[in-house]
Amino acid sequence: MKKRVISMLLMTAMVAALFAGCGKKGSSSGDEVVLKWAIWDQATTQYWTDIKEAYEASHENVKIEMVDLGSTDYMTVLATELSGSGTDFDVVTIKDVPGYATLVQKNAIISLDDYIKKDKVDLAKYAGATDQVTVDGKLYQLPFRNDFWVVFYNKDIFDKAGVAYPTNDMTFAEYDALARKVTKTTFGAQVYGTHYHTWRSTVQLLGVLDGKHTILDGEYSFLKPYYELVLNQEKDGVCRKYTDLKTEGLHYSAAFSGGDVAMMNQGSWFISTLITNIKSGEYDAKLCGNWGIVKYPHADGVEAGSTLGTITGLAVTSATDNADEAWDFVKWVSGEEGAKVMASSGNFPAIMTSDIASIITAIEGFPTDAASKEALNVSNLYLEVPYAPNVSEINSALDSYHGSIMTGEMSIADGIKAMNDAVAKILNK
Amino acid sequence: MKSAHKKAVLSKVILYIILIAIALMMIVPFLWMLSASIKSDREVFQMNPFVWIPEVPRWKNYVNIWKKIPFGKFVGNTVYLTIVVTFLQLLTSSFAAYSFAKLNFKHKKFLFLAYIATIAMPWQVYMVPQFIMMRSMGLNDKLLAIICLQAFSAFGVFMMKQFYEGIPDDLCEAARIDGMSEYKIYAKIMLPLSKPALSTLTIFTFVATWNDYLGPLIYLKSQENKTIQLGLKMFISQYSSDYGLIMAGSVLSLIPVLVVFMCLQKFFVEGVASTGLKG
Amino acid sequence: MPKSDEVQKAEKIASLQERLTELIAAVMTEEDLKLKRKMIKKIEKLNRQIERLKSGSLLSRETKRDLVAYSFIAPNFIGFCVFTLIPIIFAFALAFMEWDGSNPIKLIGLDNFKNLGDDIFFKAALKNTIIYCLGTVPLTMIASLALAVVLNQKVIGRGFFRTVSFFPYVASLVAITSVWKMLFHPSKGPVNSILHNFFHVLPEDLPQWFSGALVLVSMILFSVWKYMGYYMVIYLAGLQGISAELYEAASLDGANTWKKFRYITWPQLSSTTFFVVVMLTINCFKVYDIAVMLAGGGSGELTTSATVLVYYIYQKAFIDWNLGYSSAVAMVLFAMVLLVTIIQFAGQAKKERA
Repeated sequence: MKKRVISMLLMTAMVAALFAGCGKKGSSSGDEVVLKWAIWDQATTQYWTDIKEAYEASHENVKIEMVDLGSTDYMTVLATELSGSGTDFDVVTIKDVPGYATLVQKNAIISLDDYIKKDKVDLAKYAGATDQVTVDGKLYQLPFRNDFWVVFYNKDIFDKAGVAYPTNDMTFAEYDALARKVTKTTFGAQVYGTHYHTWRSTVQLLGVLDGKHTILDGEYSFLKPYYELVLNQEKDGVCRKYTDLKTEGLHYSAAFSGGDVAMMNQGSWFISTLITNIKSGEYDAKLCGNWGIVKYPHADGVEAGSTLGTITGLAVTSATDNADEAWDFVKWVSGEEGAKVMASSGNFPAIMTSDIASIITAIEGFPTDAASKEALNVSNLYLEVPYAPNVSEINSALDSYHGSIMTGEMSIADGIKAMNDAVAKILNK
Repeated sequence: MKSAHKKAVLSKVILYIILIAIALMMIVPFLWMLSASIKSDREVFQMNPFVWIPEVPRWKNYVNIWKKIPFGKFVGNTVYLTIVVTFLQLLTSSFAAYSFAKLNFKHKKFLFLAYIATIAMPWQVYMVPQFIMMRSMGLNDKLLAIICLQAFSAFGVFMMKQFYEGIPDDLCEAARIDGMSEYKIYAKIMLPLSKPALSTLTIFTFVATWNDYLGPLIYLKSQENKTIQLGLKMFISQYSSDYGLIMAGSVLSLIPVLVVFMCLQKFFVEGVASTGLKG
Repeated sequence: MPKSDEVQKAEKIASLQERLTELIAAVMTEEDLKLKRKMIKKIEKLNRQIERLKSGSLLSRETKRDLVAYSFIAPNFIGFCVFTLIPIIFAFALAFMEWDGSNPIKLIGLDNFKNLGDDIFFKAALKNTIIYCLGTVPLTMIASLALAVVLNQKVIGRGFFRTVSFFPYVASLVAITSVWKMLFHPSKGPVNSILHNFFHVLPEDLPQWFSGALVLVSMILFSVWKYMGYYMVIYLAGLQGISAELYEAASLDGANTWKKFRYITWPQLSSTTFFVVVMLTINCFKVYDIAVMLAGGGSGELTTSATVLVYYIYQKAFIDWNLGYSSAVAMVLFAMVLLVTIIQFAGQAKKERA
């Protein structure tokens, strides 16, 4: 009887192996190469299609096939796709550093160093962004987008309240006072002075702007004043409650376009979203059409213009059969040609030159005031999360305690202590 | 005599009050959903005064939902999955159950034990290795993965077997003497008799597949393969403040299950009773 | 001249037949039960041999019967084997290994289980899951039993009430949790609005239904609401199996409604209750979507106050890619379910013996 069970198991295993064999894709037919490219939110993000069309126009033998994995948990989905064998992606977009770390550790993407050397790509033009994602001396992605955080504000709200607009040089105290000035707590007609999305970055990363700390420190008491700032604002009705946002799952774009948020800290990617959606009528121009941006507020004694950066990169999978073509695509998108395509739709390419900045500010719908244009000049850029081997686990731990502090399940002190303990444990592994 | 009568009436009245209260509790969220689905975002949370039907119903919500996300595609995927899974589940379970209930063969006890042992095993315990195996078969991001996942449950076999055991053996014996093959007995005698059990299993499978969230979340990645539950969740996280639209989508996602349930429910209690689910 | 095959066969059958009659005669007189059983087996074997010789077929009737039976089972069993049985075996093995899904697998013995001991998130998940079960199982059981007893009476609109109480069960979680989240919205929802306007609860004291300590209460209330209709149907089926005579006899003895329930309904339903409790417990330990959808917000992240075992399994596997560790957590989940099931079975067996 035992024998029978074993042989049955063997049989099924064999059938399984047979299936696995069939799963392989048929690659390039004839001369044409098809590159399968992982992206997110194709319908709402213009530049994917722009890049595809521009690249196909200049490369006749290559077709780009985009696969939309959705933005909600893009990197999770991607890691699943690329684990082990059996993926048929050639090029993948890297959305964040923790996800990048996972893919590198899984050997799912290849080191680009040989190609970079061969094609003499000058990494200096990425202004140091590539250094922060170099793993043991090797680079596995080339950035094509470099976003940084700014403060968006709704001019109409300030006008109505008779308060001066925010400026490019605000301390946190000035920012807080300004937010309180425009806040209205009348029930049914609330105006929120400011808005923080539920991401950990919107609060915690205010603390790394002085350049003295990073999020991988393992000692998080420097976050205390920022949690106090935000929680006090929440208590006084200056911003929406974290628990409310969590319950509704309110998207930051919905919050800002609703016309009752005066200021919101958010990444520069929101610029192109605002421009396109106001133009298309998706957002009510009466509510949020009159907007501007200023630089992030800064701590006392720190130079204005320090902000956080988030890079978006492209990588070549180790499973691809068309590595050379895939690399050429990556190089093109991350290079000058790609940068122009990105800028034309209001996005910030990884290579920032003065004419690319002027392409963006010249787009119809971009705020016309001088301060908004000036806000794009960044003095210090810190990556939200630099690379570290345990970055994914550290991220999950910090996320969870961030939630605990914001919902009031833990006091600020307890939450920070829990962060310290949890991260110490991960670092000591 | 009179007081006894009074007491009976009183207890009846209390009974009905309780029943109506429970029914309200069960149905109010659904009515609220319906009402919110024809309201504008601002009207949804308006409490003073609260109205069930707004002055100007926004039927547009039901049109817009199809435009904002590929709702039709999601519905199509889910319908396809649900129908295939339910069909396979009914067919293979009743087939296997017939054998366990009415035939004698070697290793019957052992094989049945293998089924029983896994009923108590939550799917979540082995979902990870199962995913890894399916992926190596090239089933990742394929609708087929969900079919494989859902169509061969131990529960279905167990349920149908309990039901078939309730059918007298004489019926099969008589047919065998008449020279009917086992396949014929299954098709001509057992299947027509098992309407209640099949209806019950249909409801269970249909509801489980239609409403499954974690399975599709793990397996179905690309937009064009998503099911209605994933699509709805995605929609909620993207258009979080369009309450009216979210409710319209929710209402639409409920209709098919409710229709199936209403059609089959007259067999339902009977089905549960005869499949020995009551223990 | 050699005997023809036909004749040879006939002779063989005859000799077998002879032995058979002898054996049958012997069985009749045999006193020792053990020997008797052995002889019967032999008779059966002989019978089969004769049968086979007579029909001249290669396969015995028994093998044929087995093949037919297997052909019935095969479609389901193959699927079941590949997609359920093998992964289960795989899951057990994985708990003792370290693997990220791509790099080579490492055998690490009990390390995964040792690390569980000082994992804050795991402990929180385990605690929350247990509290959720302790709250949900008895409440759902009582509610569904009460509902079934009431709906088993002759009341007007019985069909309507039954159908309505089954609605929450058929409704999809994504849809229905979004309604709940609106109804219980901490600052705008109708429930808190009623608390504020009619009971004069101050805005800062309004319950935060989906965070902190209350989140588990909300989860429990929600699942009682959602699943009581399902278990009610099972109880209804059980109630219909109780013979009316029992109640009639009790009425003659002057028993009141409560006594009838206590001494007839409840004991008669004991096996149904057993089934309901086992199914409920298993389903409660599997909780995942309710937690993520009620407490997770847009991103679906859970804090320590709402995290549950399955969420942690998912996170460890698909976000941190620590498959071995995730399997170890899964084993804990399985052990809990097994433990509860065994206790239930033991209790049931004891009751039946008593």
